[in-house]
Amino acid sequence: MRGRLSPPIETRQMDEFWSHCLAHFERTLNTQQLNTWIRPLTAETATGLVTVAAPNGFVAQWVRDKFLPEIEQLAREYFPGATKVVLKIVGGRAARQAGAESPPEREIPQAPPPREAPPEREAAKPARPASEKKTPAKAEKAAIPDDSRINPLFSFDTFVAGKANDLARAAALQVADNPGSGYNPLFVYGGVGLGKTHLMHAIGNRMLQGNAKARLKYIHADRYVSDMVRAVRSNSYDDFKRRYDSLDLLMVDDIQFFAGKEGTQEQFFYTFNTLIEDHKQVIITSDTFPKDMEGIEERLKSRFSWGLTVMLEPPELEMRVAILLDKARLEKANLDEGTAFFIAKQVRSNVRELEGALKRVIAFARFNKLSISIELAKEALKDLLAVQNRQISIENIQKTVADYFKIKVADMYSKKRTRNLARPRQMAMYVARELTDLSYPEIGQAFGGRDHTTVLHACGKIEELKASDQNLRRDYNLLIQVLTG
Amino acid sequence: MNATRLTLRLMRQLILDLRPDSPPDFSNYLPGPNVEALAALRAHAPGCAREPLLYLWGEAGVGKSHLLRAWAGALGAVLPGAGAPLPEPPLPVLAVDDVDTLDADNQILLFGLINSAREQGGLLLASGTLPPAQLALRPDLATRLAQGLVFRLLPLSDADKAAALTIRAEGRGLRLPEEVTRYLLTHSRRDLPRLLATVDALDTFSLSRKRPASVPLLKELLQQRLPL
Repeated sequence: MRGRLSPPIETRQMDEFWSHCLAHFERTLNTQQLNTWIRPLTAETATGLVTVAAPNGFVAQWVRDKFLPEIEQLAREYFPGATKVVLKIVGGRAARQAGAESPPEREIPQAPPPREAPPEREAAKPARPASEKKTPAKAEKAAIPDDSRINPLFSFDTFVAGKANDLARAAALQVADNPGSGYNPLFVYGGVGLGKTHLMHAIGNRMLQGNAKARLKYIHADRYVSDMVRAVRSNSYDDFKRRYDSLDLLMVDDIQFFAGKEGTQEQFFYTFNTLIEDHKQVIITSDTFPKDMEGIEERLKSRFSWGLTVMLEPPELEMRVAILLDKARLEKANLDEGTAFFIAKQVRSNVRELEGALKRVIAFARFNKLSISIELAKEALKDLLAVQNRQISIENIQKTVADYFKIKVADMYSKKRTRNLARPRQMAMYVARELTDLSYPEIGQAFGGRDHTTVLHACGKIEELKASDQNLRRDYNLLIQVLTG
Repeated sequence: MNATRLTLRLMRQLILDLRPDSPPDFSNYLPGPNVEALAALRAHAPGCAREPLLYLWGEAGVGKSHLLRAWAGALGAVLPGAGAPLPEPPLPVLAVDDVDTLDADNQILLFGLINSAREQGGLLLASGTLPPAQLALRPDLATRLAQGLVFRLLPLSDADKAAALTIRAEGRGLRLPEEVTRYLLTHSRRDLPRLLATVDALDTFSLSRKRPASVPLLKELLQQRLPL
C-alpha cells in the first residue's frame, strides 16, 4: 500500500478487499483508532487466503484481539469461497530506522520492535553490577536525578485502567519498555484531570526500572518557557540546550502553553529534532489534538504527529467506581461499592473532582466518627451536589449524549458525518444550547471547532425532528432528565 | 467644619489607629456551623495533614480571610496581599486568599505551587467565593483546587454573631451589654465584617467620649456615621 508502482494482480484484489475493510472500519471506528490500528496494516490475497500484515507485534496483538473477527466476517461476506485470514508481522529494523531518519508527515505510528523480542537497549547493555540489582522501587528512587522531577507515586500500578484510557495506557507501556524506538513522539491529549501527567510519570518510572541510569526530565511547558527565558537572560542558553539535548526521555506537559511563544517554539523545534534523530524518546501532552492547537507553528504540529497520538477520554461510570475504590483503599477508608457508585454517578467530569469528592466524604466520616454510607456521602457532598445540579458543562453533555447513543466521545469532535454519529452530535449541540449559556460559536468550538452555522443547523434540525419523531423526543427528554438530575 | 471639630476628629482617628486589635487566630474565630472546617484547618499542619491542599469557599464575610490569616500566623506561612505576585514554587507553606481574583500570571504560579506541593511536599490553603468547579479560572487550575479537601464556610446564625461580637469586644477590653448587641443585630447591616467594625468603632467612640457602651451611645455613633 505504500508507494508501490506496479501492483500485481493479487495486490489489486487485495486493494479492493482492503478498501472494503477500510470503508467498514471508517464507519465503525474513530479517526484515532483507525490511524493507530487499521491504516498501518497491509493485506495480500491469494485464493482462499487473506494475509494481513501488521508492522509490529504490538499492533498485531491488538488487531488479533479486537478486530480480527470483524475482518474474518468481512472476508466471508466479500469472497464467494471459504477464505482464511492470517495475521503476520512484517517490517524490520532497517525500515524503522529509515522511517526515523526521514519521518513522514502522517499520524500512523512508527513501528516499535515486536513486544516478544528483548529490547536492543537491554540486550546491548552490559549486565548491571550486583550493587545495582535492587528491588525496582529502590533502584528507581536511587536513580532519579535531582532535576528529573519524576514523581515516584505516579506509576502504572496506581493508574486505574478502563475503556477511556486503555489505548493510551497500552501505548505508554510500550513506550516505557521500548523508549525511542517506536512511538516517537508519544502525544497524549485529553481534557483536564484525566491522567495525562500521571501517565507521563508512569512511563518515566518504568523506564528507570529498566535503566536506572537513564537521563529523564519531566517539565511543565510553562516551566520550560520560563527556564528558557531565564537561560537566555543569564547567557547560559548553551548549557540549557545541552542539558535537554542529552536526555534519554523528555516529557513536556501541557504543550499548549507554548502558544504564541515563537522563540520557545523555535528552540524546542531543534531540541525535538535532535532527540528524535538520536532515537531518544519524547512525550508530549496537550489539551487538544495536535492539529487543532492554536498558536503553535505548523512544523511543530506536524512533527507532533510523527509518532503515536492517543487520547484520554473522561472515565466511564465503571472506571470512576474503580478509581474511587482504589483511592479509598489507599486512604485506608472503608468504601462500599454502592456508595462508590453513588459518588461516581454524581461526579462525572474528571478524576480530580472525583478524588476531591471522595476526600470530602472520608474527612466527613472521620470527623463525625461514622461509617461511610450513601446517606453520609449525600450529606458530605450536599454543597457540591447543589452546585453540580446548577452547573452543567458542555463536556458533561457530550459525554452523556455519547454514552446514551453508545458512541465515542471523540465522535463529538470528529469530522465524520455518517448519520449514526451526526444525529447524536446534533442532539448534543441542541442540549448544550438548552442547558448552558454558551453562544453558537462557542458550542461550535467545543464540537471540534465547527462553524456556528453548523450549530444553528443542528439546533433547527433537532427542533424540527422533536415535533415529528416520537423516539427522538423521548431521547431528548431522557437526556435532559439525566443531565439536570 | 470648624477647627475644634476637626481636631476632635483627628484625635478620635488617632485613638482608632493606636488600638491594639487582637490579630486573627483560631481562638477568636467563632466556628458556628463551620466546626468541621475549623478542625480540618487546625489539622492542616506539617506532620498531620493527609492532603496538601485545603480550599475554603463561601460568601463574603463568612470568615475566610480571618481563617487564612489565623492559619498563616500559626504556621508562619506566606500570605501574599491582594493583587501581589505569588511566590515561585517550591514553597513549604502558603496561603492564597481570593483565588477568584488571580490574574493570568498568578494563576499559572498557583498551578505550579499546587503541583510542587503535591510532588515535593508542602501545604497550601486557598480561599474563594465559589466552589472550585464554578471558578472562572484556568480549568487545569480549577480542577487542581477541586482535587483538594474542599469546605464551604457558612454564615453564622444571629446567636453566633452576637457571640462573635462579644468575643471581639472582650478582645478590645470593651464590655458590650446584651441590649447593645441586640440593637446592632436589628438596626444595622448584619454581615459580620460590618458588625465587627461597628463594635471597633463603638469601642473607640466610647473611649473618646469617656462613656461606657450603651444603646444611646451606639445610636449617636450610627447617626454621626464616623468612619468605620
